[in-house]
Amino acid sequence: MLKRLAAWIDGRLKLGSISHLLLDEPIPGGASWVYVFGSITLFLFVLQLGTGILLTVYYAPTPDHAYDSIQFIEREVTFGWLIRGLHHWGASAMVVAIGLHMLQTYLYGAYKPPRELMWIAGVALFILVLMFAFTGYLLPWDQKAYWATQVGTSMLGTVPWIGNLLVRAARGGTDLGALTLSRFFSMHALIFPWLTVGLIGLHLFILRRVGPAGPWDDARAKAVSEPFYPRQVFIDAVAILIVFLIVVGMAVWLPFPLADKADPSSSDFVPVPEWYFLFYYELLKYFKGPIWEPVGTMLLPALFYALLFALPFIDRRKERRPARRPVALAAGAGFLLVVFLLLGVSLKQVWSVPTTNPGVVEGRKLYAKLQCSACHRIHGEGGSFGPDLSFVGAQRDRDWLIRHFKNPQAVVPGSTMPPFDLDQPSLDALTDYLLSLK
Amino acid sequence: MATTTRREFFGLLSGWIAAAIGAMVAVPAVGYLIGPALRRTLPTQAGAGTIADLPLNQPVQREVVIETRDGWLKGGSTKGVWVVKLSTGEIRVYNPHCTHLGCAFAWNRDQERFLCPCHGGVYDLDGRVLAGPPPRPLDTMEHTIDGDRLIVTYVDFKSGASKKIPI
Repeated sequence: MLKRLAAWIDGRLKLGSISHLLLDEPIPGGASWVYVFGSITLFLFVLQLGTGILLTVYYAPTPDHAYDSIQFIEREVTFGWLIRGLHHWGASAMVVAIGLHMLQTYLYGAYKPPRELMWIAGVALFILVLMFAFTGYLLPWDQKAYWATQVGTSMLGTVPWIGNLLVRAARGGTDLGALTLSRFFSMHALIFPWLTVGLIGLHLFILRRVGPAGPWDDARAKAVSEPFYPRQVFIDAVAILIVFLIVVGMAVWLPFPLADKADPSSSDFVPVPEWYFLFYYELLKYFKGPIWEPVGTMLLPALFYALLFALPFIDRRKERRPARRPVALAAGAGFLLVVFLLLGVSLKQVWSVPTTNPGVVEGRKLYAKLQCSACHRIHGEGGSFGPDLSFVGAQRDRDWLIRHFKNPQAVVPGSTMPPFDLDQPSLDALTDYLLSLK
Repeated sequence: MATTTRREFFGLLSGWIAAAIGAMVAVPAVGYLIGPALRRTLPTQAGAGTIADLPLNQPVQREVVIETRDGWLKGGSTKGVWVVKLSTGEIRVYNPHCTHLGCAFAWNRDQERFLCPCHGGVYDLDGRVLAGPPPRPLDTMEHTIDGDRLIVTYVDFKSGASKKIPI
């Protein structure tokens, strides 16, 4: 039945030659696990497209409603948490995948002639992925989103002469607000996706015109050739499945709670960018003052992207064997070393405060068990009868908290909080948890 | 022949992987798209004035403010329910929508009937259908009395059905 349907369609659309064109592309040197990163990146883009479209069904890109609509998706829409989780972790996976894809291309010298145009389209796609990440970060309109975007757009202001104009153009005005959110949404959900689809098309078109590069060793490349289908398709499918399951696992098991709703008047929120921008965030700390700051915020990134675009024209030797390209290899390794060192330093600082105190974990469980959230709110979660505890760790000390648990009215006259008759370890754990909130 | 089966085997496996991923995304996606649309609105309780001043056998319209949730928007919406104190002393609260197609009906003092302007539905004080297309009597809603205050549990019912089906 299915076969007859397929034959009927094929008889009219003549798909046989197209499938031959799409699937029988020869791969020099044969199928390999090394070539999976491009397919993975493409898969993740499709996943982002699908989950992103689903998110727009309930998301409202205005400051009045953005935060509430995300909370609605997260808490009330069937599988909303999963769709948003896939989109969130899919974005991280996409940065990793495109990074690995570029590293593989770099290591294999696959950017060299005749594949310069493919590399250039790829670098443009890489920049788009980063722009997706930056614009998408604002959309939940929580404190993290608001203040990170405040910092990110302010960086444009360090450009000499036209800095102010750039900031205003990015924000849609002098301040971050409704116009910023709607233009970021438009870029993230309409402009960038279409650009990306077009560029992916171009990238793949060039691939099919010039063919895949294959192994760096010419002798090996010429020795064997194998069509894309079936083995490479299968290898890609398995790799994609593994990546998909990892992203699903992260969406299910790794929470990424919203911060408080964006508050333009707050003065104590320290924004931290997403992990893939952390190394750059750390790097910027070394560029201070009116001369050096624009070097870090503008000149260095501009140079970096210019270098990426120009790479096939700077490194023009035909040689693709890494062992024969010491300069390119040393430059690549040096770049990775700097990035990971900066990332390490940054991670250490960002997460040095709430170290692995088991009391915090225990305390969080007690907080849930005692139903403290019926009255107290932590970052938007919980009731509002009692004081908001989002930053209680910065406001109270251990002694105060323990005395207060034992007899709230003795510490805060007129308090309606019931006393909690807990044993000392429980008191300590609950206090550890509250002190970690700051 | 051996090469064909091998080709088919890998193709089949790749197809199954694609189908598995597709299903793992499609099932949550369908739930995501229609889940909120299928959610039942929970009945909300609201005050509908006092009972001491209710005239006997003379329905009056009382406003109740019910809490509404429209996605992430929370608000109040005002509904005018019909309250009547019967000669037996029993108090009845009628949902303000005609059971035929949901129009708002009103008590006509002269005819002593509830009249629906849309398609000519007529009900008596007890809510029984006297004329017109309504498929069932007026929908009564549960209420409690707290001191002198009348508290109504507001529920809407499916119009056009011969049985009272909460929506």
